Amino acid sequence: MKLEVTGLTKRYDGHTALDGLDLAVDDARVLALIGPSGGGKSTFLRILGGLETADDGRVSLHGETLPASAAGLLAHRRRNGFLFQQFNLFPHLDALRNLTLPLETVHGLSPVEAKRTAEAALDRFGLLAHARKLPAQLSGGQQQRVGIARAVAAKPRVLFLDEPTSALDPEMTAEVLELIQELAAEGQTIVLSTHEMGFARAVADHVAFLAAGRIEESDTPENLFGHPTSPLCQRFLSRVMRY
Amino acid sequence: MTASFRFRNLVAGGLLLAAFGALCVLIFSRLSGHWEWSKPWAYRELLFKGWWTTILLSLGAFFGSALVGLLLLLGQRSGLPALKWSCRLFLEFVRDTPLLVQLLVGYFVIFAPLLSRTLDGWGWDDKLLIGILLLSLFEGAYLGEILRGGIDSIPRAQWDSARAVGFNRRQVYRHVIFPQAIRRVLPAIAGQFVSLIKDSSLLSVIGVQEFAYQAKVYTAKTYGGLEAYVPLALGYLLLTAPVAFLSHRLERRFRHET
Repeated sequence: MKLEVTGLTKRYDGHTALDGLDLAVDDARVLALIGPSGGGKSTFLRILGGLETADDGRVSLHGETLPASAAGLLAHRRRNGFLFQQFNLFPHLDALRNLTLPLETVHGLSPVEAKRTAEAALDRFGLLAHARKLPAQLSGGQQQRVGIARAVAAKPRVLFLDEPTSALDPEMTAEVLELIQELAAEGQTIVLSTHEMGFARAVADHVAFLAAGRIEESDTPENLFGHPTSPLCQRFLSRVMRY
Repeated sequence: MTASFRFRNLVAGGLLLAAFGALCVLIFSRLSGHWEWSKPWAYRELLFKGWWTTILLSLGAFFGSALVGLLLLLGQRSGLPALKWSCRLFLEFVRDTPLLVQLLVGYFVIFAPLLSRTLDGWGWDDKLLIGILLLSLFEGAYLGEILRGGIDSIPRAQWDSARAVGFNRRQVYRHVIFPQAIRRVLPAIAGQFVSLIKDSSLLSVIGVQEFAYQAKVYTAKTYGGLEAYVPLALGYLLLTAPVAFLSHRLERRFRHET
């Protein structure tokens, strides 16, 4: 994945979430965004995922400029996948229907094809036994895994994950991270924000540190975690790695 | 439940029953002699016709108000300020004036002068149609607010998720927001239907020949007979009680689901 971002700015009612963010990543399969909460990770991901538009600046993904029109953004969202911290699934539909509904209505699969694709996706992550359960009957970790299954069932070019394990306990966090690692190993392009530094270091091939709406540092995991150069990043890492 | 609690409950129940019984005895002893139950029986067809009209009227106004409510909801969520504020203004007007006034103004000031000829010639009961229309507008305003509340109660994450899987605006509403919102407001909608049935009795003031109107006709025809008011109350109860029961059932089911 080739990603180029220049001068990206986003304001909400006087609060500046992104403040002229610049980032250039030549070739990364898994890009991890780390940094303090409120630093702009979510906003950046939401813009990359086509859920939000920037006030200023330019994003080019795979050599194509991110569209600004509503129709262009819709097409962009349909090409890519997005997963939030929690409440990804539609609570009135069972796990299987959560997968088949977008496959049928958005991607134009026939009900039979959609069912086959959805079941294959659930099976792949060991979730087929839960196909007929409503989200409320699943654990938080299972819900996130079904959410990921739904996102990858449509074969997204890029999978955006916004702190996918922040709402989970350590055991569930592990089961979700394992799944993401598996996807990465199979070649899925992923951009994720996370507070799991060990995971970012192990799985990402590029890490960007975001604070106060800017990229403070961006490098390979070895360099960024091994020898951070910016004072902000040094302080952040020394704090989160202490325990 | 302790024994003393049960005893106190029994005493309270007994006292209330005795008071209610005494009141009934007092009222009926005053009225006995004037009441003849053979008279309402003789006019049973008239009363039944009114009751039936009330059912048709309520059903018609229910569907009408659903349409009005939906339009007001969509209007309020529209991006066009002119549309949005017109809807809000209409809602405020309807909710801040009495239904009785709306019926009088709506029928005698607006519709009656507009219709130079009645629609009777085509087999249409114009009073009934106008009545259904006015009632639909009134109840629709409330229904619109109920629907709006239901949609506002859907968490932001659901909108985001729906957009993230690639649904367009219409699909977001159809597949994600409406099914969840309707489930939440179904008890309130059923409650609103009860109000609608009761409010329909006011249409007698513009001459719609529904249940309450026929009860008054009965009183006039029998020179002041009051017997019809008892079947009148029971007839409404027969319509509203099942709907109210359904509303409570739905409410309980929803509470279990969440």
